[in-house]
Amino acid sequence: MAHSAPYPASAPAQSAVLGRVAEIPWYVWGSAIAVTSTTVGLYWDISWHTSIGRDTFWTPAHLCIHFGAIVAGLSSVYLILSTTFGKNRGAQESSVRIWGFYGPLGAFVSLWGGLAMLTSAPFDDWWHNAFGLDVQIMSPPHVVLILGIFTVGLGGLFLIVSEMNRAGAAARAKLNRVFLYAGCMLTILLLMLNYEYTDYTLSHSAIYYRVLALAMPPALVGIARASGYRWAATKVAGIYVGLWLLALWLVPLVPAQAKLGPVYTRITHLVPLEFPVLLFAGAAAVDFLLDRLAGRNKWLQAAVAGAGFVLVMIAVEWPVGSFLVSPLAENRIFGTDYYSYMMRPSDYHLNHEFYAWEKTRAEFWLGMVFAFVAAILTTRVGLAWGDWMRRVRR
Amino acid sequence: MKRAIFCGIVASFLLEPGASAHVGSPDVYYQGMAGPYRLFVTVRAPQMIPGIAQIEAQVLDGRVSDIQIMPLRIVGEGSEAAPPPDHMEQSKSDPQFFIGKLWLMESGSFQVRMEIDGAQGKAAMGVPVAAFAQRTLRMQKSTGAVLSVLMALLVLSFIAIFGAATRESQLEPGQAVPPGKRRRARIAMGAAAILILAVLFLGNMWWTSVANANVRDMVYKPPPMQVTLTGGNQLTLKLGSSYWHELRKAEQLDKIIPDHGHLMHLFLVRIPEMDRFYHLHPEETAASTFVETLPAAPGGHYAVFADIVRESGFPDTMTAQLELPETSAKDAGNPLTGDDSEAVAAPFSNSQVNSTAPLGNGEHVDWLTNGQTLQAQKPTLLRFRVLTQSGQPVVDLEPYMGMAGHLVILRRDLSVFAHVHPAGSVPMAALMLLEKRTPGSADSMQGMHYESVPAEITFPYGFPQAGDYRLFVQIKRNGQVQTGVFDAHVEP
Repeated sequence: MAHSAPYPASAPAQSAVLGRVAEIPWYVWGSAIAVTSTTVGLYWDISWHTSIGRDTFWTPAHLCIHFGAIVAGLSSVYLILSTTFGKNRGAQESSVRIWGFYGPLGAFVSLWGGLAMLTSAPFDDWWHNAFGLDVQIMSPPHVVLILGIFTVGLGGLFLIVSEMNRAGAAARAKLNRVFLYAGCMLTILLLMLNYEYTDYTLSHSAIYYRVLALAMPPALVGIARASGYRWAATKVAGIYVGLWLLALWLVPLVPAQAKLGPVYTRITHLVPLEFPVLLFAGAAAVDFLLDRLAGRNKWLQAAVAGAGFVLVMIAVEWPVGSFLVSPLAENRIFGTDYYSYMMRPSDYHLNHEFYAWEKTRAEFWLGMVFAFVAAILTTRVGLAWGDWMRRVRR
Repeated sequence: MKRAIFCGIVASFLLEPGASAHVGSPDVYYQGMAGPYRLFVTVRAPQMIPGIAQIEAQVLDGRVSDIQIMPLRIVGEGSEAAPPPDHMEQSKSDPQFFIGKLWLMESGSFQVRMEIDGAQGKAAMGVPVAAFAQRTLRMQKSTGAVLSVLMALLVLSFIAIFGAATRESQLEPGQAVPPGKRRRARIAMGAAAILILAVLFLGNMWWTSVANANVRDMVYKPPPMQVTLTGGNQLTLKLGSSYWHELRKAEQLDKIIPDHGHLMHLFLVRIPEMDRFYHLHPEETAASTFVETLPAAPGGHYAVFADIVRESGFPDTMTAQLELPETSAKDAGNPLTGDDSEAVAAPFSNSQVNSTAPLGNGEHVDWLTNGQTLQAQKPTLLRFRVLTQSGQPVVDLEPYMGMAGHLVILRRDLSVFAHVHPAGSVPMAALMLLEKRTPGSADSMQGMHYESVPAEITFPYGFPQAGDYRLFVQIKRNGQVQTGVFDAHVEP
């Protein structure tokens, strides 16, 4: 339920109000639904493009993405307008103020994300006309769209964390579950953004670990730190791996047919995204090391946890990659024998051999060093961001 | 005797950057038979690949009730499995006119496969389409304005959110903002402004590089061609490989196959007057090297157009310019042999639009325009009739390289070059590849394998843009190739 009573300014009255924040407000659920819808939509959209090909604005995948944006956008607008002008005006005391409007920080951040998504639409339309239909995830308009989606999710995270930070112990535990779930959705968004670089056929190249080192520690460490609960990063990564595996096993049950030519591979069912990155291993290392180093210098924490993250990811993904390129992984469990309609049969072997991103040994080792340095820096960013989120109260 | 060696003049620049098979004429015009039905098909190529091709089909003979279309590669992988077909929409005003759309997802040699149903049963045919990105589009001003406003709003609100996050987000509910927080908020907003400007600057750099890479990788470029003249009449053409072709080796864009009997059809046109025209067929003497001994040709500046067809049926037209020295038949030049031919015409600058072109001895070719003006982009059957001195249709036409006639179309500024046959603007070699693949449609190559050639010849074509054009209509009689030259004006 939304807050209906004004927040009194005095300290005793204030604590009375805080006590009332025992339930999970509607907009927290709204954020969770929005970020889930956009994440599912994005996964579905990538699968749609590899299986069916043809799309319009009205594909179910697009509708899912836009539904998430609409839920987040409308709840943000409602929250801001009702706090500024309407019946929720009393909540101005626990709001931030931007250009004369009041509302929780998360609502403004979500709204910004919605505006970025809106901006990406005419940009993407022009990009299609100028350079053809998308054949890459990381086109500039897509980056604006994904940035928007990501910011919508980030706004949701801020909304939840501000409630958490004001809540009593019981409500905080409930909110923490939603927070970790929303954090997981953000992690999945980040992984989809980097999907082209975290293919298992790159797991013997430094680029794979560079990208993981750049993208994952800020999210995992930040979310874990803000949550304050033990093994939070491991839980977030575990939910991702679980959901991704479910998708790998269930998505191919949905009948589909390629609707664009040339059709190099006949499609009978939706093609899922590839086997997940076993992120929980790196996340567990981060959780364990940060727990051990609690209270020590932040840079020391970052150095040890960041390096530990990369080391464990190499230790896990290197042999897993070797397994995934082997014939043993060509089955429904590991799913390395799914091919997009646009994949030529003469290119199938690419699924079953490593691609050397770095062309020389020196490039490889330089890339690996970069991965370690990046992980240390991004872990430090994650620590700072997590600590900042723990203090957000509006 | 000492042979004078004239070595050198090498000019190998493109007449139009990003020119295509033909030059400046990317749309496909095709006239062919699908079983009992005769169709005139126009494929309006998309500017970008992947992109949507517009397909128009006019039924010329027979009654058709439904046409389904699908894209397939002509050869190799992707030539077997088609996506579900799309139905073409039947015009309400003209039930024998159909229109449809097809996504072309990749560059290369494709066919639009058409499955036709009508009063005389079902039939099928394929129309070769060379799919390639032609150019990129500039952003419209209105789109740019909308995006600029949205970008400004995003930038300002980003800075404001950073300020609010620093100033108030960590205060207890109801707590007044301390002055220190306000100061820190101002610093945070300054930092946010620098951050977002840096992001925009770097983003712009990245987007520009992505856009440039797209242009480099996707927009078609013909292979470079080095043209060298030695000994006064020995023309050597060395073909290179463009980056566009290099990227698409899997699509059989390397090996050259014969197109109506020759690996290369070479056209030399003296410019700017277009008063000398040569249609030659150099021999390949080494890999990608073609040699032709020129006939005695007057000196001057010549535009060179070299047509080839790749193994996949994809056509390339390379262009260059060449300076021929003043020579005489005694010093240089061989008599024309085989299928080589030449024509002499009045200077383009002095000529007027004509519908009759002399062939000599009072014989002539009439262009049957029915008084209609030519319009840019309008699919038209260009009809020509070869007549005797007394105005009777000739009865002694022979196939010229297997066809009733050849038509070469040039725009005055050379921005358009097209080599068209009675089947249309499609490469005949691509049609032959398709013929093997489309059983029961052997008649699709209309205009080829004539027992006797009728006096009236039609060429399906659409002029890509308005302007002045010169048309060279080539026919063969008594073993001699004759050329009628027409000048035409095309309205917008």
